[in-house]
Amino acid sequence: MRLELGRIRVRDVVWSRRTFLENGILHVNRDELVDRAGAKDTRIASIDAEIARPGEHVRIIPIKDAIEPRVKVEGRGGMFPGLISGVQTVGQGRTHVLEGCSVLTVGQIVGFQEGMIDMSGPGAAFSTFSRLLNVCLIIEAREGLSRHEHEEAVRMAGLRAAVYLGEAGRRISPDELVSYEPGRSSGAHDGRGDLPRIAYLYMLLSQGLLHDTFLYGRDMKTVLPTLICATEVMDGAIVSGNCVSACDKNTTYHHQNNPIIAELFKRDGKDLTFAGTVVTNANVTLKDKERSADYAVKLLEMLNVDGVIISKEGFGNPDADAMMLCARLEEEGIATTLVTDEFAGADGQSQSLADTTPRADALVSVGNANEIVMLPRPEIVIGNERIIERMAGGQPGSLSEHGIRAELQVILGATNELGFERLSAREE
Amino acid sequence: MAKEIERAGIPAVHVCTIVPISKTVGANRIVPAIAIPHPLGDPTRTPDKEKALRRKLVEKALEALQTGIDGQTVFGD
Repeated sequence: MRLELGRIRVRDVVWSRRTFLENGILHVNRDELVDRAGAKDTRIASIDAEIARPGEHVRIIPIKDAIEPRVKVEGRGGMFPGLISGVQTVGQGRTHVLEGCSVLTVGQIVGFQEGMIDMSGPGAAFSTFSRLLNVCLIIEAREGLSRHEHEEAVRMAGLRAAVYLGEAGRRISPDELVSYEPGRSSGAHDGRGDLPRIAYLYMLLSQGLLHDTFLYGRDMKTVLPTLICATEVMDGAIVSGNCVSACDKNTTYHHQNNPIIAELFKRDGKDLTFAGTVVTNANVTLKDKERSADYAVKLLEMLNVDGVIISKEGFGNPDADAMMLCARLEEEGIATTLVTDEFAGADGQSQSLADTTPRADALVSVGNANEIVMLPRPEIVIGNERIIERMAGGQPGSLSEHGIRAELQVILGATNELGFERLSAREE
Repeated sequence: MAKEIERAGIPAVHVCTIVPISKTVGANRIVPAIAIPHPLGDPTRTPDKEKALRRKLVEKALEALQTGIDGQTVFGD
């Protein structure tokens, strides 16, 4: 399962008569992009497209998903298997990445559970997406559509747009070519080398109520924890269908660029052996949580690991899943480190997590989502700013002549629990 | 909430789906509920069966309220 990622650095995105990539400039035929994204889906009433660049005085709100344009150049399968392409296993061959840009799906689905991005000003410091060239699709659904249908229509439009733009990179010679091959280091072959065997346990939100994640198109709440080759994730095997608090959900872009996977690959064979990746879910009944925790722990034991890095997604009840996983792994003598954000109140004084266990003794905090941020008015708003008053982290009065005053929670990816951003906390 | 009610001298039962969270938070009497989106019901059942389920949960909670306890107790099936 060797995958080469060819990174093509995109320096600008411009509207053009046809769609192509040249000298780092992505030229996009706007009408064709809109047509391809919509794909005559009768659930969609209209799609508009805008470009938002880093440094511009632009606010984008409300955003559901972010997707990185990629294209499968060699090897089995296609991008976003199970949703866009067939269900063939991906993760090998060669994939080209249009680095530096993303597709954002904009428009209200449930309002209180979407997020925002500022392209400049203080808010821009909190989100990777503020540093990207964002192709925004403003999608209006047909009236009377159920929220689940609406979410699916928007999700698919975003994926199709990313695939359409990714195609422009098919024949471009990448600026950088990096090869990823799980099990490359000797420790993985002889069962137990000198280096510690470290696995990655990848928690995916799967709660129904539009808090869903898809693995090869399969709803994760119907899946028992399973093994995945880390390179599959880079080809879009995991897709976000999440309308949930913006700060700590994993968008599809986050999955495509999982920094924990990148770091484990980088250190594989040097100071650790990257022993494998297990994806698990966070469901809504206690029985499901216990079943998944036990099953995931069993898979990790079968991988014969010394330690596990766990990333959480979301907050509240998934804290219980995370604690079960930490406790059960530690009971088996497997060391754990959990990456989590905190909901510790505006002053940081409240209990950060809904559930705790003394066994979870190594945590990396990626910030307090309740922290209050002041975001001055931008010149241009893509979408609808008034939604902030109903968004998780906002409240009536959040929007004033001065701008937005809300919890960090409203910013897309601000406390992402894959460790995407720079916020952290230390114990005192 | 359960703790504050008990602090005022009134016994309380926490009917709660994710029992470990209830334990962490410190509720004394815990009755496990159905699921996070529908703690006190189950829309996949027929109305009759759901009503029976709901009655069982409420009766369990009332029973828990009248039961003397020494410490944190989960009133499971």
